[in-house]
Amino acid sequence: MLSYIIRRVLMAIPLLIGISILSFGIIHLAPGDPTALMMDPNIKPEDMEAYKEKYGLNDPTHIQYLKWVGNMLQGDFGQSLIRQGTDVSFLIAQRLPNTLFLMLVSTALAIIISIPFGIFSARKPYSLTDYSVTFTSFLGLATPNFWIGLVLIMFFSVQLGWLPTGGIATLNEPFSLIDRLNHLILPAFVLATADMAALTRYTRTSMLEVLKQDYIRTARAKGFKENKVVYKHGLRNGLIPVITIFGLLLPSFFAGTVIVEKIFNWPGIGLLFIDAAFQRDYPVIMAVTVITAALTVIGNLIADILYAVFDPRIEY
Amino acid sequence: MKNKKFTLLVLLTFVLSIFLAACNANPATEPSEKENENENNTEEQASGEPKEGGDLIVGSIGAPTLFNDLYSTDISSSDISGWLYDGLVKYDENLEPQGDLAKEWQTSDDGLVWTITLHDGVKFHDGEALTAEDVKFTYSIPLSEDYTGPRASDFEKIEKIDVVDDTTVKITLSEPYAPFLGTLSYGILPEHILKDVPIAELGENEFNTKNPVGSGPFKFEEWKEGQYVKVVANDDYYNGRPYLDSITYKIVPDANALMAQIANGDVHQASVQSSDLPTAEKLVDDGKINLSTELSLAYTYLGYNQKNELFQDAKVRQALTHALDRDSMIQAVLDGDGEIAHAPSSPLSWAYNENVPKFDFDVDKAKQLLEEAGWTPGDDGILQKDGKKFSFEVKTNQGNKAREQIAQIVQEQLKQVGIEVTPKIMEWSAFIEDVTAPNWNYDAVILGWSLSADPDPTALWHSKEREEGLNFVHFSDPELDKLMEENTKQVEQSERKETIAKIQEGIAEQQPYTFLYYPNDHYALDASIKGFVHHPSSEYYMIEKWWMDK
Repeated sequence: MLSYIIRRVLMAIPLLIGISILSFGIIHLAPGDPTALMMDPNIKPEDMEAYKEKYGLNDPTHIQYLKWVGNMLQGDFGQSLIRQGTDVSFLIAQRLPNTLFLMLVSTALAIIISIPFGIFSARKPYSLTDYSVTFTSFLGLATPNFWIGLVLIMFFSVQLGWLPTGGIATLNEPFSLIDRLNHLILPAFVLATADMAALTRYTRTSMLEVLKQDYIRTARAKGFKENKVVYKHGLRNGLIPVITIFGLLLPSFFAGTVIVEKIFNWPGIGLLFIDAAFQRDYPVIMAVTVITAALTVIGNLIADILYAVFDPRIEY
Repeated sequence: MKNKKFTLLVLLTFVLSIFLAACNANPATEPSEKENENENNTEEQASGEPKEGGDLIVGSIGAPTLFNDLYSTDISSSDISGWLYDGLVKYDENLEPQGDLAKEWQTSDDGLVWTITLHDGVKFHDGEALTAEDVKFTYSIPLSEDYTGPRASDFEKIEKIDVVDDTTVKITLSEPYAPFLGTLSYGILPEHILKDVPIAELGENEFNTKNPVGSGPFKFEEWKEGQYVKVVANDDYYNGRPYLDSITYKIVPDANALMAQIANGDVHQASVQSSDLPTAEKLVDDGKINLSTELSLAYTYLGYNQKNELFQDAKVRQALTHALDRDSMIQAVLDGDGEIAHAPSSPLSWAYNENVPKFDFDVDKAKQLLEEAGWTPGDDGILQKDGKKFSFEVKTNQGNKAREQIAQIVQEQLKQVGIEVTPKIMEWSAFIEDVTAPNWNYDAVILGWSLSADPDPTALWHSKEREEGLNFVHFSDPELDKLMEENTKQVEQSERKETIAKIQEGIAEQQPYTFLYYPNDHYALDASIKGFVHHPSSEYYMIEKWWMDK
């Protein structure tokens, strides 16, 4: 097991290098640079040029990349090109917890909602219940996140005034848990919708497969109650594949946060990333990319380890 | 390169297609677009005596970067800096210069020596006195060899600074320079805090982001990354404590979210974009907000690249303007909320010349001028000359709905005179890279300029600004160049006004741009806000005199 983990971690290194080269290349291929935001008749061209020189924006891309990697390996993500004097690590440290918190709650929501529905569907396949669950989950899968988000804001915040339109807490108010939760409900739910559909479907398929097994028939033949059969004998085996799927869904979660944070003004890493992309704030873009890639790799590794924990048939 | 760009486009399309909101482009090039609305100035509605108290929340799509006028380039930063720092001089709502920290100022007859007297008893937020020494210290920074910020050119005419006594400073210029008054609006920095910081490192110093100290009406309290900046009233402000207890500058990612927050009362004040005006008007009808509308110190234009043969003949450019029905454009796109523009200036400016040559909508005139310039209709109805079609691309930035629509209207209207136009909407950074030096990769652009209170046209129109500067349409006229060089040396305003009037006439005559319109600014203000004064280029003008009637 330990050797497997070490092997996996070592394999992640070339992967992360590849990701960093690709992202660095792509973002530098994009036309424009941070000075596009300085179109101001009061700023002289020579001042702009001095700015580019200072930040090495005139160096060839591969030189810029090597400089960046060199600094990063020493734990230095550099300074933001737009927010002069602000360390990228500070920006990320301020925002990453918000994103992880949102993802955690949203994951919990997705599990709490999808797995029971998946089981319902599997217990009565091709029934009305099954069809309506299937229909709803496909609807959820097909509807874009940002649309759901805007509709919910329109309804719950603007029309009914029950929930805040965005942000993480009410301004100028002392901390309160209720207020925090109010701000969290909508973004967490919207972020969960995208993966809920997939999780429901996987749970259903996997449970259907399990419920066909001989040992389930044996359990029923012994006269156990159906609930006991499903939840005690079937569920554990049924959920094993779902764990793996979870690892695979992580990247989509990160992609989802970019959109959800933008809509709900959630001060996380996704919002930081999208602003940096438009402003061509290269150091910020790269830092977020590397960190999210690393988190994804770690997430996948944890999913694989859990798989072994839950499924004694698997040995690494 | 084309291929690379295409791949990139595919990669980014999914991201970009999601965000229809404008990017946080520098408002200097993106005055928010406007539509129709009833005048509703809160000034006249102020009722009763101002009272102290209230935590104001203002909303903004832009996020600040740092609080130091000598280094910041974005409007959010300078807005907040305006609450934290005082300059020596400010421009009032009529764009007339008024003393800020300066009680009075005098200019010598030759225009070289400026003597400025400061108010007594001005203190920085930490209690230290602000004196002429601090003025000298602040102005010396951009004059230093080691200075790394973008504002050096505003100070380059300073030859020496003499501190006469605590409240008097004498500034000597190398040549008379009328726009120097604008330089006097930079916030004064505290020498006692910054004197030991090497100037080369001042731009990155924590002072700018974590602990800015000025002498302004509000003190910095907190900057919550990605969420808000909070400032609190300065009890010892030399001009009296502000009425508001605090201001929170809330950062909201896009216009839709901002509108929702105004509707909810989560935000008390915000600038409203054209596409949101119907929503804002509904809120006015419900009595939730007031909407203040005034002309903005800006104009929107269609600029022609004179590196392109199509646009090198002034007759052709005049014809293009004749062929465009700007009145119907303003009706269709802005719901009538804007004025047709004719000159590279604003009616709000003292230097505005209303008697510039005008090229009104006249299709026959346009056709006639094009014919005189040698353009004749081909078999397909499109104008031709020497076997070349009159066909070009007009670029503008994505996220600005008014400009996107204008690009389509230009296509439609120029088709009537036999000219083929293809609109191209681009992401901001890519668009700016294409348009500006050294690429000039465009035929025509739709853009806007926010103007300074000082009317010096040099930065946009002088020949020397073609190679690297913002004269990217490559307009060049040696006569006008001379006048531009003269205008800044004319200390007498009436004399300078005449010079600038000539420059505006010359530019309008040659139509390097089709000047489209002067937009309006719209501010949504919570019904409780009183004492608001609408300023054409400063959203939070005199915020120390705002108060909340709650």
